[in-house]
Amino acid sequence: MGHTPELEKALNELKRITGLSMDISADTPMEEGQILQQIRCLCTAYKEKYNKADFLQSLMVNGIPSYDINERAARLHIAPDERRVLFLLDAKSLDEAVTEILKNLFPAQTKTYLVPVGETNLAILRPLKADEKPESMRKIANTIVDTLNTEALAHVQVSYSSVIENLADLSGAFRETSLALKVGKLFYSEQTIFPYNELGIGRLIYQLPVSLCENFLREIFGDSIPDRFDEETTATINRFLQNNLNIAETSRQLHMHRNTLIYRLEQIQKRTGLDLRLFEDAMTFKIATMVMNYLHTERNQ
Amino acid sequence: MASLSLEGIQKIYPNGFHAVKDFNLEIEDKEFIIFVGPSGCGKSTTLRMIAGLEDISGGTLKIDGKVMNDVEPKDRDIAMVFQNYALYPHMTVYDNMAFGLKLRKVPKAEIDQKVKEAARILDLDKLLDRKPKALSGGQRQRVAMGRAIVRNPKVFLMDEPLSNLDAKLRVQMRIEISKLHERLGATIIYVTHDQTEAMTLGTRIVVMKDGVVQQVDTPQNLYTTPCNLFVAGFIGSPQMNFMDAKCTVKGDDVTLTVGAHVLKVPASKKKPLIEGGYNGKTVVLGIRPEDVHDSEAFISNSPDSIIESQIKVYELLGAEVFLYFDVEGTQMTARVNPRTTLRTGDKAVFALDMEKIHVFDKETELTITN
Repeated sequence: MGHTPELEKALNELKRITGLSMDISADTPMEEGQILQQIRCLCTAYKEKYNKADFLQSLMVNGIPSYDINERAARLHIAPDERRVLFLLDAKSLDEAVTEILKNLFPAQTKTYLVPVGETNLAILRPLKADEKPESMRKIANTIVDTLNTEALAHVQVSYSSVIENLADLSGAFRETSLALKVGKLFYSEQTIFPYNELGIGRLIYQLPVSLCENFLREIFGDSIPDRFDEETTATINRFLQNNLNIAETSRQLHMHRNTLIYRLEQIQKRTGLDLRLFEDAMTFKIATMVMNYLHTERNQ
Repeated sequence: MASLSLEGIQKIYPNGFHAVKDFNLEIEDKEFIIFVGPSGCGKSTTLRMIAGLEDISGGTLKIDGKVMNDVEPKDRDIAMVFQNYALYPHMTVYDNMAFGLKLRKVPKAEIDQKVKEAARILDLDKLLDRKPKALSGGQRQRVAMGRAIVRNPKVFLMDEPLSNLDAKLRVQMRIEISKLHERLGATIIYVTHDQTEAMTLGTRIVVMKDGVVQQVDTPQNLYTTPCNLFVAGFIGSPQMNFMDAKCTVKGDDVTLTVGAHVLKVPASKKKPLIEGGYNGKTVVLGIRPEDVHDSEAFISNSPDSIIESQIKVYELLGAEVFLYFDVEGTQMTARVNPRTTLRTGDKAVFALDMEKIHVFDKETELTITN
């Protein structure tokens, strides 16, 4: 007799977390309901008792009462008080190859835990060795990215938290890495590694309420807030800002006459009221474009 | 192995950053191409677009004539070696090299054959049972190469693979990579910011700056005929000397004046200066350190290219000496014979080999004459 989809799902879940396959036969729907209940309880009990990833995931995402953390950690042989850093990996899809590579890059004896968080994210909780400094975390993040690029041919981005002293701080570390990943992808999309402590002005903007951002843009541009600038204007502005407002250098790099560049900058001034040749206006403009990018992404989500 | 074609390749990130602009390059089968340039010039981004790790914003990438823009990285038949390679610490050399193939479910016998073949090429046959901690830095690097070789790809992509090694090992590995290229007959694209690596390894070099290709040429041509001031300054160590000079054309004679020094331009270099209308204009005069001479014989034969200065620093490197001095406020370097009698503080007379000068337009920075 075939099982109901619920029972089939529960059996698969049981197999996934325990490795146990069960052959079930039930005569009545009531019996099958009871079996389903028992398998679900078994899964929950198993996860609570043996599954480190599930425990750490709960700790990161839902939070576990502090009085319960040490006891459950001890049951799973996880040291509660140890200096650690949380890495959060973002991939297009977390296929078997990615997980397998990471498992081998951080074998069990390194006491590094891999915790899947959704379909595209994977958290890596890694202890700091005695001689390791927080600054060396960038190298580890680089190794993760380069190894997955090389072995899995997968494009990944990685954020990492500040150092935590005990497991109770794990949910905070997860919030840090999640924020770093969002801010990094939004404002620094050309990079692959986003340390929480190096998010710069992007973090400030990301944490502002949308209404405040809109007010800020209205204050600068009036009622005609430009949605986005065309590619050529964006390239001109970016290059001019990258060259510290140097007209000669920018015009040379853009292969245009300096008068053409000046004309373009004047056009931008007419449109926005900001003279990018002045530091204060250039700074305002830079922040405004970052705010515009942020709002654009918010609206598209 | 394979040929590659990059036509008008562009990369613009969602935040507006334009990392690579109109990149055009044809790479022949079995070429060893080097992308070189300062940090942030777009060389790694271009490599990552070839690998499929970054989307291509514009242009066309072809491998063996097939458009690859939207092909998944794993289906492009490429292999990569990156800077921050890591070997799996608990696996033997054999398993480290076999791991990628196991993930792809390649049959065991085929894996064994490929690993052993790669180990033979890399002289790792006797180390196959060792764990990474029992290997030297160079051996580890060779294992990382081995992981790429076992895939038998059409194209090898290497992104600063030697950056984490010490200076001595880098030189050794450079030779190994060069040998590997010969043995495999592979198409290799290699990214580096180190111009010595670029000059010694590449069959052709692509010099990049600010996302723009500056020049594509053989190492020798880049050195002798740079197309602009940036390439001239980037290629060569010590760097080419640059001085602002006033160009004067009088009939058939062309001179370059640097402060009190008047230098006569030889016949072979005059034409572009005369025809370009540079009379009375300031240009940039470039000369490589080895073309600044202190020998009496050269000086007496070159009365129209004399400069005088006081030696600021004397640096003996064994086979050669670097002399540092100022000319009209610009620091210059001369690479001379170690038998020179000049020392720090001495008044010195040098003669420039005017047949080897380079002249650049001060505004556009393009080469006027090489």
